Order: sequence, then C-alpha cells, then structure tokens
Amino acid sequence: MSDAIVELGSEPVIQPPVDRGPTTRRGAGVWVRHNLFRTPLDGVLTVVFGTISVVVLYKVFTFVFLTGRWEIIRVNLQLLMIGRFPAAHVLRLAVTVVGLAAWGGLIAGLISGRRARAGTARRLPLRRRAADLIGRFWALALVVLYLLVLAGTPGPWIMVGLALAAALVTRIAGGWLGRRRPNRAITVGLALLLAAIPPGLYLYVLAGLGFDEWGGFLLNLFLAVCSIVLCFPLGVLLALGRRSGLPLVRWMCTVYIEIIRGAPLFVLLLLANVALGFFVPTTLAPEKATRAIVVFTLFTAAYMAEIVRGGLQSIPRGQIEAAKAVGLSPVRQTVYVVLPQALRNVIPAQIGQLISLFKDTTLAGIAMGLFELLNVSSAITAQEAFRGQGLIGETITFAALMFWIVAFTMSRESQRLERRLGVGTR
Amino acid sequence: MSNDGEMSEQTGAVFNDATAMSGDGAPMIELEHVDKFFGDFQALKDINLKVATTEVVVVIGPSGSGKSTMIRCVNRLEEHDAGRIVVDGTELSNDIRNIAEVRRETGMVFQSFNLFPHLSVLDNITLAPRKVRKLPKAKAEELGMELLAQVKIPEQARKYPGQLSGGQQQRVAIARALAMRPKVMLFDEPTSALDPEMINEVLDTMKDLALGGMTMVVVTHEMGFAREVADRVVFMEAGQIVEVGPPEHFFTAPQEERTKRFLSQIL
Repeated sequence: MSDAIVELGSEPVIQPPVDRGPTTRRGAGVWVRHNLFRTPLDGVLTVVFGTISVVVLYKVFTFVFLTGRWEIIRVNLQLLMIGRFPAAHVLRLAVTVVGLAAWGGLIAGLISGRRARAGTARRLPLRRRAADLIGRFWALALVVLYLLVLAGTPGPWIMVGLALAAALVTRIAGGWLGRRRPNRAITVGLALLLAAIPPGLYLYVLAGLGFDEWGGFLLNLFLAVCSIVLCFPLGVLLALGRRSGLPLVRWMCTVYIEIIRGAPLFVLLLLANVALGFFVPTTLAPEKATRAIVVFTLFTAAYMAEIVRGGLQSIPRGQIEAAKAVGLSPVRQTVYVVLPQALRNVIPAQIGQLISLFKDTTLAGIAMGLFELLNVSSAITAQEAFRGQGLIGETITFAALMFWIVAFTMSRESQRLERRLGVGTR
Repeated sequence: MSNDGEMSEQTGAVFNDATAMSGDGAPMIELEHVDKFFGDFQALKDINLKVATTEVVVVIGPSGSGKSTMIRCVNRLEEHDAGRIVVDGTELSNDIRNIAEVRRETGMVFQSFNLFPHLSVLDNITLAPRKVRKLPKAKAEELGMELLAQVKIPEQARKYPGQLSGGQQQRVAIARALAMRPKVMLFDEPTSALDPEMINEVLDTMKDLALGGMTMVVVTHEMGFAREVADRVVFMEAGQIVEVGPPEHFFTAPQEERTKRFLSQIL
C-alpha cells in the first residue's frame, strides 16, 4: 500500500499529515482503491454488485428509451389520470387544482408570516429559497413536466401555470396577512375560509356527478386524501381511548383495534363491496368509492391508533406531572402537553402508514372494481389498437412512476416537517 | 391560629412539635396523620406538619426517606392513603374541584425541570395562565416577561428549553410555577440535577422569592440554603418526621440521635 493511504483502523489515533512529496496526488485511482478494493472481500463485492448494477441500469435504460413502446401511455393519458370523468366537466378539475394551489399558498404564507411576527422565522435570501424549493420538489416537477409534454395540449400547461401563479400570489398575500396582528373577526373569517375551501371545491367538482364517473390516478389521490384526513383524528381518539381510565371506553377501543388489525384490508374491501348488499338495500348503499373511503379510514385508523399510542407512551411522566402541577385539567394536559410531543415523535411511522394507505388504494381497483390507475393500466392493454402486444410492462411502469413520485414527495416533506418541529428541543 | 401565642413562649422547646409554626398568620399547609403506601411499602408514617403563611420550611433527610413523597402529596401528584391534607383551607379529597383548586394555589419545581420541550420559554410560562386563568395572550405574555425579568433571564424568552443551560431551565421552571400566582411554592430537590456552577443562580432566585414573602416547602441537600433561608428545618427518615426546628438550633444542637448521625455524615 502506498504512503498516501492512511489506514483507517479501529484505533482513533490522528495521524500526522504525511509528506507525500510533490508527485503524489489523491486522484481517482486512490479513491477507488481506498473505497472499493481495500480488501479482497471488498473487491469481490464491488465486482459482483457493480456488474449487477450495470446490467440492471442497462436494461432499464433500453426499456425506457429504446424498446419501450410508450404510445399507449400518450394515447390514454387522460384515461390514466382522470378515468372516464365527463369531458364536459374537466374544466372543474382544472379550477379545483388552481383553487387548491391557492389554498396551499395561503396557508404556507400565513404560517411563515406568523413565524416572522413571532421572531422564529428563518430569513433566507431569495436565491436560497429557490434552491430550497428545487431541492424539495425537483422530482415532482420533473414528472409533472413529463406529463405536460406527453399531454401535448395547451390546457394542462395553462392549468399548471395558473396554479403556480395562484400559489405564488396567495403565498405573498398570506405572508403579508400573517405578519400583521389581525383583529379577531378577520382571524375567524380567515380560518373559516381556509376550512371551507376544500369541501367547497369538492362539492363544486361533484355537483351533479357521481363518484362512479371518477377514475384513474385522480381516484387514487382522492381516496387517499379523504381517508388520510378522516383516519388521523379517528386514530388519535382510538389511541387516547385505549389509554382511557374508563374501562368501557378502553375495552371498546381495544376490541376495535384488534379486530380491524387482524383482518386483511383486501377482505374488508371485498366485504364492503359484496356483503354490504346483504344488509342494506342496494338503492340505499353508498357508492363504491364512498365505501372504499370508509374501509380505508377504519382500517388505517386502527394502525394509526397503535402508532400514536406508542408516541403517547414515549412521553416522560414528568411532563404530565408538570402539566398537573401548573393546574391544567386532564383534557388540557393531553391537548397542550402530551399530544403535540407524542405526535411529533411518531411522524416517521405515521407518514409510513399514510404512504402505505396511498399505495393500498390500488386494492380498491381489484377488490371493488373501481376504475383506478392500476385497473386502467391493465384495461388499456386490451384496447383494439394495443391488444396482444404485451404492453402491460409499459403501463404498469407508468403507474409505478405515478405512485412513486407522490410517495417520495410525501416522504421528503415528512422529513422536513420532522426537522422543522424538532427546533431546539433536543 | 391558637398555636401562635404558645409558640413565642416556647420556641426553644418545640423542636419535635411539627405542628408548631414559626412565621405568622394562618397555616397555609396542614398535614395531619398522613400515611402513604406504595404497595406494601409505607412511604409516609403519620406525618404531621403545619406550614404558616410566608414561612420557608426546608425538608432534609437521606434518600428514600419520603421527603419528595410528602411534598408530592401536597399538590396531589401522589394520593395519600390516610390522614388529612389541607392547603389554604381546601382539603384534598377525591373531589376533582378541590384538587384543581389546590393545584392552582401551589406551584411546583421539579428536580429534572420538566419544562415542555415543544414550547418556547415564554409559552411554557404563559400556557397555564392562558388556558386555566383565561388570561388574554397579550396580558399573559406581559406577565411572562415580568417573571422572566424576576428570574433574570428575559433575553431567553423566545428560545426553547433545549437551548438553555440547566440553571436557566430551572429558573424558567420557577417562573412557570409563579405564573399561576400561587400562594405556596413546592421545590423537589431543585438543584440536584444541576452542575455545581449553576446551583447558586437557582438558590439565589429562591432566596429572592423567600424574601418576597412566598410560602415555601423545599426538599434539598443544600445545607447552606437551609441555614440561611429556612424558618424551620424538618428532618425525615424512613417515612417519618424525626425532628423539626429553627436552623440555628437544628444544626448546632440537634436533639435526636438519628439527626446527629445524619448531620455528621453530610457536614
């Protein structure tokens, strides 16, 4: 071994810098030898896994850029994204996307404005902020760009452009509002507005239309968002109930959690699809999508409850004693002291569960026949133009990309949230 | 109280009469025949103690002697099994309203600070006044800043507990307890978890509080503090109060054999 390589053994001795003379350089060769071929075993591992990686990358590359026949995706893009949503009402979806962007921008602005007022904001120059945004959303942006290019019509471009513009405008407006100390009426009005926007948009999109016309990735996203929003409070309540001092409440929550966790999600979806007809007249039974949301909510809530319970148990007894000692009632001890810390401690597990829920929405396609992305992906391979050509690989890959990009963004954002909430606490 | 008159005449002879108070006025805390069990283990045996308004009582004794358990019974962090505990005229029973009432009147400072790590220093202090006393936010923050000035760390208001030193955290904990304007302050070994160089800043804060007329019960190993600030010193061993007396008598002329042994070990 050459002198240039400092042995990184187990002993924490700091070696004095070796005079390598004018000719030795730490070039690529040194790095490779040091990191990939330090011992014979390292060498073997490097060769084996290097070969596998190269082969896999080569296969993926040729599939994506050479042998893959992506025409089927381009032709069926609308079907994949929104299913058989009536063409006459697609504009509603565009308005909803822009509306949600504006809503998100307003919330982000208000939060940052309040931070600035409280003096806890991080002040970043514009360039750093842009870099921050790119770091957070580059993957999502790339996929959206890909979809826009694939769509080829101006409509989606206009929608995305308007959505970005709306988010930017409301972000600035929200920041301005948040920095002020508004009077009570304005605060309450703003809160009501923020709470009313999502359900309002929901009613607007669905006015006169049934769920059964929804489909594609839109349906996956909708099922996931509704179930996430509903399962979270239910899960927290179940977790608190399982630790309740009232035996009846504790017992009921435990039974619920154990029964639901013991049943496969697929079976529950099948039950909701088939068995509900035995109990409820078909005219009264809710639409399939609604049933799916109910099942996903009830199922995930049981898991969330156990995750949250773990978080509750991680809070030291001293915290509750301190909360008692300053005179907080049991409810306030939970709301202001225990829950905020417990929920923060289990963010990774919670997000993991929610990502899992999002991906499980594909089960609703198989178990209930809902026309969601995976179902569309296999159905379109039977179209006349593409039948018998073995294009399932292409369509499934596309579906996988859609799920991956959302799950990846959720995961990254949760890590960011975790860092943010961890400010100065450890 | 009828005790007051008797006391002044027999100051020298009341060492073992824990119910005799020094200081003035009505008793703020009364413990009568208090027993406390943890399973089969009896943590408190027939505890009798009265603490007068504005009095500072320091409780010392070997570890496991029941000192902490005793003051934790006073604000019902532990439930006593027998006897009576009355705080400012309110008797602790299973009535939740009485427990809430007593907790509003007593502030407590813990060995391990127990600040709320997810809240800023100022929010730690204002939480209870806002949620329990229903003080508006602006008023509560004004009060919070006042208290931070009183414990001499107003510049830390916006930081989080994890960013402060141990001594600073404990002073925030004192400010938090004071924010409910309690009539009694309970200190459970407030300096035991601190690095030596930070002990004095906390003890000084407590001295200021005592000089300001706060009624205090302090469990501590700081004999200097006991000697200087206490009106009475209580020595506990094996769940019992062994000896009670003003510090000048207690440290120089202890009556009980067990007290002498303990003092010889630590002094």
